Amino acid sequence: MILVNLISLFLLYYLKKSSGPQGFPAHLHRYFKYGMIAAAVLIALGVAAAPPVILFQLLSFVLVGGIIYLILNTPELQYQRALAITPLPIVGVQLLDYLIKTLSPGIHEVIENYLDAAGFFALIWAVTMWLNHRKQMKEVEIERIISKEQERQLRSTAEQKIQLEMLVAERTSEILNQKEELQHALDHLRSTQEQLIQQEKLASLGQLTAGIAHEIKNPLNFVNNFSELSVDFLQEIGEEMPKIADSPEKENILDLLENVKSNLEKIRHHGSRADSIVKSMLMHSRGGTGSLEPTDLNGLIREYSNLAFHGMRANPNPINVDIQLALDETLPKVRLNAEDFSRVILNLVKNAFDAMRDKISVSGSEYHAKVQIRTKEQGDDVLIEVEDNGPGVPEQIRDKLLMPFFTTKKGTEGTGLGLSITHDIIKSHEGTLEIISEEGKFTIFRILIPKSTE
Amino acid sequence: MKILVVDDERDVEDLFRQKFRKEIRNEGLELVFAFSGKEALEILETTNPPQVASVFSDINMPGMSGLEMLGIIKSRFPQLQVNMISAYGDTDNYTRAMSSGAKGFFTKPVDFESLRREIGEILRS
Ligand SMILES: [Mg+2]
Repeated sequence: MILVNLISLFLLYYLKKSSGPQGFPAHLHRYFKYGMIAAAVLIALGVAAAPPVILFQLLSFVLVGGIIYLILNTPELQYQRALAITPLPIVGVQLLDYLIKTLSPGIHEVIENYLDAAGFFALIWAVTMWLNHRKQMKEVEIERIISKEQERQLRSTAEQKIQLEMLVAERTSEILNQKEELQHALDHLRSTQEQLIQQEKLASLGQLTAGIAHEIKNPLNFVNNFSELSVDFLQEIGEEMPKIADSPEKENILDLLENVKSNLEKIRHHGSRADSIVKSMLMHSRGGTGSLEPTDLNGLIREYSNLAFHGMRANPNPINVDIQLALDETLPKVRLNAEDFSRVILNLVKNAFDAMRDKISVSGSEYHAKVQIRTKEQGDDVLIEVEDNGPGVPEQIRDKLLMPFFTTKKGTEGTGLGLSITHDIIKSHEGTLEIISEEGKFTIFRILIPKSTE
Repeated sequence: MKILVVDDERDVEDLFRQKFRKEIRNEGLELVFAFSGKEALEILETTNPPQVASVFSDINMPGMSGLEMLGIIKSRFPQLQVNMISAYGDTDNYTRAMSSGAKGFFTKPVDFESLRREIGEILRS
């Protein structure tokens, strides 16, 4: 009977050992443990031949039967089915032996030899089965290892794939960002180029207008001088007239002379208008006079923005404007022709006022006019920005804005030379002027001039 | 009292004659006109010393420029007063005229009141 318990012990030990990497549920281990203890106790009792022997022998069969039942009916042990069958013949022979011995010892004696033979064959069967099972188990194990390895490889490939995908996504977004930046730079370059081309055209146009202005100036002086003279003469004639006796003819002459005088005054008036335009035009070509001196740019901006404001307030159609100065106080002195550059500030600020006046007349009291002037050091340059929240400059006229005689102002309000002169002065400082605007929102005049123009 | 006016614009004669009508009629002013530097020098050279008390000259003229003429006049007749007339803001010409011995510098368009004062002084001297 010790054999049956040894089989139990062996089965349990083997099952416990074969638990594999994922392990068995805790209750199975508990079964194995208690089963092994029970088998050991039964072996000890069997060796000691402690009474009642029959009961312990019965318990041995119950134990081994239980184990076989457990193997066959537990899903986790499904793959060990062959193991359950292995000891079955031995257990069967032993059980038969036990039953016959217990129930009828007489018959037992008769068939004892047959039972021994059956036991021997059962043993051979068990050993064969066991070896077979071991072989199968090994194959299963190898398969398991192979599939595990495959799974591991699959997992690592999947991981690599995910990492690669992440990397690709990252690179893609980087490239997209770069593309966007490049596009932006390209757009900026294009608009700068357009402005530059326009500015080049303007430069030659500026020289041309200056030449024309110079040629016009002398004839214009004659017009003005002679008309002035004639007005004076008419004055004298008026003084002489009372000395002549009154007559209808004299009446008529006086009347006509009055008309002539008024006409001459008109000639004089429009002549002066033309003269002031010509003077502004000549300002363009005047460059090169006056020298660049280290100048407190912030101070100049404060002074002339203030001057522009008070000038605007003192003139017809004053508007309410909030002037905000955001000046970089660490700015070094900048080499400027202060007299010329003050015109730049004056012109740009006045220009902003005029633009915002138009917006006020359209938008009414909802709108608060605001001019911001900023200065900042930017590498080798100094940045000056004059921003207004006026009506903005429509795209299609942005590059015309610096052209001489281009004006959006009505009638005789402007000469159309303010911005053109401003641009010329900035250029004579080796600087650049850029116009950035959004219609209905803002206009920024951005000036960059070198910190030191040697 | 003779004053020589030099300008390549012929209408300058009418303008000056009319502007200084009273001085010519009442104060013995005599205006002489030349329309180039060369012509001016010819007028000046008819007598030595010249009978002209003062010269008013344009600078921008075809042929001999006013400044060239100024140099010649100053070398031949150092005593003769020469006033130059040129465009506004022409600092270059101003400094050159003054360093070449010009007495005064008038900018165009000419302010006839200051010119009248200048001529008045010459007439009284
Ligand atoms: Mg001339």
